[in-house]
Amino acid sequence: MKSVLFIVIVIVSGALAGAIHGTVNFAIVEPYLDQAIGIENENLFASGEEDDNPQFWADYEEYRVWQKSGQVLAGIILGVAMGSLFGIVYALSRNSLPGKNDVTKAVVLAGIMWITVYLIPFLKYPANPPTVGETETVVLRSILYILFIAISGFGAFAFYKLSQKLQSNKKYLGLIGYVIFIIIAFFVMPENPDEITAPMNLVNEFRLMSVLGVTSFWISVGIILGLLWNKFDNSKLSPDYS
Amino acid sequence: MSKVQQLSVSKTSVSKVAILVLAIVFAAGLFVVGFDQGHIFSVVYGEQAFVDLTIHELTHDMRHAAGFPCH
Ligand SMILES: [Zn+2]
Repeated sequence: MKSVLFIVIVIVSGALAGAIHGTVNFAIVEPYLDQAIGIENENLFASGEEDDNPQFWADYEEYRVWQKSGQVLAGIILGVAMGSLFGIVYALSRNSLPGKNDVTKAVVLAGIMWITVYLIPFLKYPANPPTVGETETVVLRSILYILFIAISGFGAFAFYKLSQKLQSNKKYLGLIGYVIFIIIAFFVMPENPDEITAPMNLVNEFRLMSVLGVTSFWISVGIILGLLWNKFDNSKLSPDYS
Repeated sequence: MSKVQQLSVSKTSVSKVAILVLAIVFAAGLFVVGFDQGHIFSVVYGEQAFVDLTIHELTHDMRHAAGFPCH
């Protein structure tokens, strides 16, 4: 495939899937963000940092409308970013992915990446609504999170490469190797240092909605990139598929 | 020799330049949404950071929703 065409379909599929992610979040995650920020406001009033007056609420509304309006835009930016990673991995692994057409192949890869670079890091460092995180620890938490994503992603890649070198009846050892590797990493990595002060059911419901939102992205990006690839790639798949 | 090289190129089917471009897009986009700490840099950069902070607030809700560390 031509480089420009490849870049365009990867970015378009990432942007579309990101717009879907942002829209889903707008519908299902925002109510929980509002609740969490509501608790934050109560704390500000209680501590005397802010006064519960009309001026505060006017500023607050303006600020929240601005933040909410960013969901879809930020979804597109994040979608283009993650979609680019997805496109790179897809281009490099397409010939060895199972499936008869690009949609199946892309959805399979999206599933693998959803597990390795999202779900496993999420289980270690789950998403939190506003008020939970301490400002002083945000850099540390960011480093831990990105590090664990990288460990899981590169680990999966390394064990995949390893399994390619194994005989066909021993390829499953690559998967077992990755599972053992990631379980060790899971327990070796330090915990999120912050204590959760928000109500636990609010946090849990927020996390569920957050997972649904990110999942909508990975499903969409797999289907859309697969469809676009099918449509624009005129070099046929290598004939080893049956 | 040249045949072997051709084979290994066609296996990937896209150019290294395209992959590099997408890798840069990936890193930049992820940083903007996931890790740019406008409110921390504001301590260092002062006034200018107000503008940055405003942009930061646009990506704020997605940061929480997509599971990135925040406040
Ligand atoms: Zn926040």
